[in-house]
Amino acid sequence: MDFYFGLAQLVGVHTLLGLSAYIVLLTGQVSLAQAGFFAVGAYTAGMLTVLAGWHLVPALGVSALVSAATACAVGFPALRIKGLMLVVATLAFGEGVRLFFFNFDYQIAKGEVKVGPLGGEGFRQIRFFPEHGWSTLEVMLFIWCFVLLVMALLWWIDRSRYGAALRAVGEDELAAQAVGLNLTAIKVSAMTLGGGIAGIGGGLYAHYTTHIEHSSFNILVATFALAYPIVGGLQSVFGTVVAVIFVQAFLIEGLRDLGDWRNLLFGALIVLAMNLRPRGFLDARTLASLKRVFGGGPRA
Amino acid sequence: MLDILQAVSDGVLFGATYALIGIGFTLVFGVMHKLNLSYAAASVGSAYAGLLVLEVMAGAPAWLVFLCAFAAGGALGYAVYLTCFHFIPLRSPLATLMATVGMLLLIDEVIVHATNGMPQAYPAIFDDVMLRAGAFTLRGDLLLVFGVAVLCMIALMVLLYRTRLGLATRAVSQQSVAAQLCGIRVGQVNAMTFVITGLLGGIAGALIGASVGALSPLLTTPLTVKGLIVTVIGGLGSIPGAIVAGLLVGGFENVLQHFRGVTERDLYVMLLLFAFLVFRPDGLFATKGGRD
Repeated sequence: MDFYFGLAQLVGVHTLLGLSAYIVLLTGQVSLAQAGFFAVGAYTAGMLTVLAGWHLVPALGVSALVSAATACAVGFPALRIKGLMLVVATLAFGEGVRLFFFNFDYQIAKGEVKVGPLGGEGFRQIRFFPEHGWSTLEVMLFIWCFVLLVMALLWWIDRSRYGAALRAVGEDELAAQAVGLNLTAIKVSAMTLGGGIAGIGGGLYAHYTTHIEHSSFNILVATFALAYPIVGGLQSVFGTVVAVIFVQAFLIEGLRDLGDWRNLLFGALIVLAMNLRPRGFLDARTLASLKRVFGGGPRA
Repeated sequence: MLDILQAVSDGVLFGATYALIGIGFTLVFGVMHKLNLSYAAASVGSAYAGLLVLEVMAGAPAWLVFLCAFAAGGALGYAVYLTCFHFIPLRSPLATLMATVGMLLLIDEVIVHATNGMPQAYPAIFDDVMLRAGAFTLRGDLLLVFGVAVLCMIALMVLLYRTRLGLATRAVSQQSVAAQLCGIRVGQVNAMTFVITGLLGGIAGALIGASVGALSPLLTTPLTVKGLIVTVIGGLGSIPGAIVAGLLVGGFENVLQHFRGVTERDLYVMLLLFAFLVFRPDGLFATKGGRD
């Protein structure tokens, strides 16, 4: 059973990563910087619990704030450019963060052993969960509390005036500007929110793996962050969850028996999925028919 | 002083391969306004395909390997076009982007699967030739890389500016609707662009293999990043820009590698990119309206 709890932890953390890209994608920006914010969150939370001895919850709060602040700082200059230039700029930022942590040493002696991030060797002994005797189930529930919280927040945003503004900017910037929306404020705030979500996800990730290193935050992670909401569909937050389950639980864990072939299938299935469902698994039509089945008739 | 000069010249010569990769990104972007993220992986993949010649015919000459990589590049380019662009509606730019990422992963995994993840030795040409001027040397294989890359660029320019296909390609990149109204088959031009960039990529991959001496699937990610950086520094959609930026990035990174070591090198390349994004966001040679 622990295996499934572990899988659920993984799905939860990746959902947070995907949701952080989701809100940025709503404004029509493709950001490959999410892995960078994820890394900032992971290292911040890890250093706070291990080096400063904080409890995990306030550490997650601080890591969310630090990541959000980083995202805000990246957001302003990066928003002078758009479209594909932004893809490259954010990609470079993400890689820059990774290379920073590759060269980052900050160790202090704690008892016999030295703890803290050590460049290429990474950051070991983030042992908050084992030290406090949390079981796998408890950790999973803890992670999913945050996931559900963030999902509820985004679901609510989607139905608010702010969410409509986000989508308006994503559909057509010129039209959005013409009706009086402040493009900079909306884009930077979406980026900041996304950074905050990635920060929480990163903090949780650091604590459930207990060991992080620069290569855990490479471009592949950044593309995964983007892949979840795109493969799942941008119509609803549930699309991201569906895509994470499809990728992590089905493609990666479910096909484990296939051995080598699994990795081959992985890329091919993403290509196939995009050809068959260019707007994602949960596109507008699927959502409408789902609503009809579960919601008792169409309302619109 | 001589050390720095040496580092710059080596870097600039190797930068020619970055320029070729950058041209591939920028050409597809110019024509379709789409990013093909699988391009660098396809280039490395076709270089691997060139090695198949050695499997079939042991002891085949190096130029045959290059030729095979060239042809495989074109075929792979067409395959990428079919799987990632042809059937996906133009209205879903995110879907094509994601499909090319899927293709990148697929090509990477095919390579790992076929070679068990072991780096493969690549045949070199002129690796025993050294041009010397006192303590200053020019490596023969790097000179060859540079020479072949320059030849490819000239061929591409001739193709774009002296042939009917080139005229059609430029027309589509300026205004695809107007080009269609003139009777140009846009789909065909797009497919041809992928084949041409694929051919270039095949050469670039083979050149990289020959000058590094080995091929490894680990090459794809850094090449993708460098290629994109070159594209942006040069200005999206600008071929001369990609060439200059490729040489610039090659020289710059080699100098910093000389001073700061290989682990910090790429950090400074990122900083160079940021400097360009802040002070010259359109790149060196921005085409009109080339900013998205």
